[in-house]
Amino acid sequence: MLRALDLANLPDADVVALALEGRDAAHRELIKRYERPVFSLVFRMVRNRELAEDLTQDTFVKVLSHLDRYRTDFKFSSWLFKIANNVAIDHLRRRQLDTVSIDGSPHATTAGEVDSSRFDISDGSENALEEMEAKELGSAIERAISSLRPEYRSCIMLRHVEGRSYEEIASTLDLPLGTVKTYIHRARHELRRALEHTRE
Amino acid sequence: MNHRHLLPNEIDLLVDGEAGFGVATLRAHIDECAECRELVEDARVVVDALEALPHFAPDSRLADRVMAQVPVFVPAHVAARDSVAQWLPRAAPARAAAAAIFTAAAGVLTLGLIWLATQGDAAVFMTGLLGDRLRGVVVGAARDLAVSLLGESALAALQATGAIGISLLLAGFVLTAFGTVAGIRRLAAAGRQ
Repeated sequence: MLRALDLANLPDADVVALALEGRDAAHRELIKRYERPVFSLVFRMVRNRELAEDLTQDTFVKVLSHLDRYRTDFKFSSWLFKIANNVAIDHLRRRQLDTVSIDGSPHATTAGEVDSSRFDISDGSENALEEMEAKELGSAIERAISSLRPEYRSCIMLRHVEGRSYEEIASTLDLPLGTVKTYIHRARHELRRALEHTRE
Repeated sequence: MNHRHLLPNEIDLLVDGEAGFGVATLRAHIDECAECRELVEDARVVVDALEALPHFAPDSRLADRVMAQVPVFVPAHVAARDSVAQWLPRAAPARAAAAAIFTAAAGVLTLGLIWLATQGDAAVFMTGLLGDRLRGVVVGAARDLAVSLLGESALAALQATGAIGISLLLAGFVLTAFGTVAGIRRLAAAGRQ
């Protein structure tokens, strides 16, 4: 039988092959590897923790239920992000969402819900002042990201949070390469303008 | 000094750390042009802030919730392989010993079969003997079953009718069985409707 330790050292394609053999542990390994990146992408798209939890769950259910449709010439993570982005965009199209403060969801009705929907940003800085400044910039940039158009948001996050190349983003989001470059350029420009006040 | 200021896409090239043809010229330009240098630095601040953004953790029960909705199907060949694998020892020396024992057993069996094939008369005699024994066991068991179901006298009457009587009895049994199955299926279909 497969041990978690063995799975952790395998490339995605091998873990997917094991999942296709009906290995429960392989399914869980794929979730473990990508739950944070997928949740972060979806969370920053929809700005609501509970909703992001549900959409992340939907994403993984879709992906793991249709693993037989996965083409191995495509990176597994790109396929996963494509589905996560589609799930989030579909939701945003269905329902126009208002932007959420970093201090918690406006949909929260109890203190517990406010806590659960609050962003927890920490960069591990040792210097308290630097940490405070980083948090301030982090908060400002989270707010600025939330004001971007959804398609700019997914491009800029895949580029800078997930470290994807322009080509990968184009194939993940089914967009022409030139469009991806334009979106990222415009997103950076809008973010720079939104952050100007924090640097003055 | 090149007096043409950098275009937006050229600033992007520098921010993305591109190293292609022509980037050296752009770098040389920002070394000399304070205005463009400031634009590149501003863009870098945004990119650095983006790259420092953390990943958020979802609820710790996400995997359980997902797996509750994902049907995990084990293909037949994998199930068969697993059922064989569970009998195999895990440690390498034990596996080697098991492989040696299996090879030895397979070798002995093969040699035995080869010996039997070369002993034609003995093989025919043994096969006939085994066949007689098997037939005796089957006929005895069938007779015992018939006696317990029909009784000694009915069996004697059946034997008196010979092959025709036995054939009629078997045909009646087969027809009854088919009729029963068809009736049950029809009842089930009517129940579903």
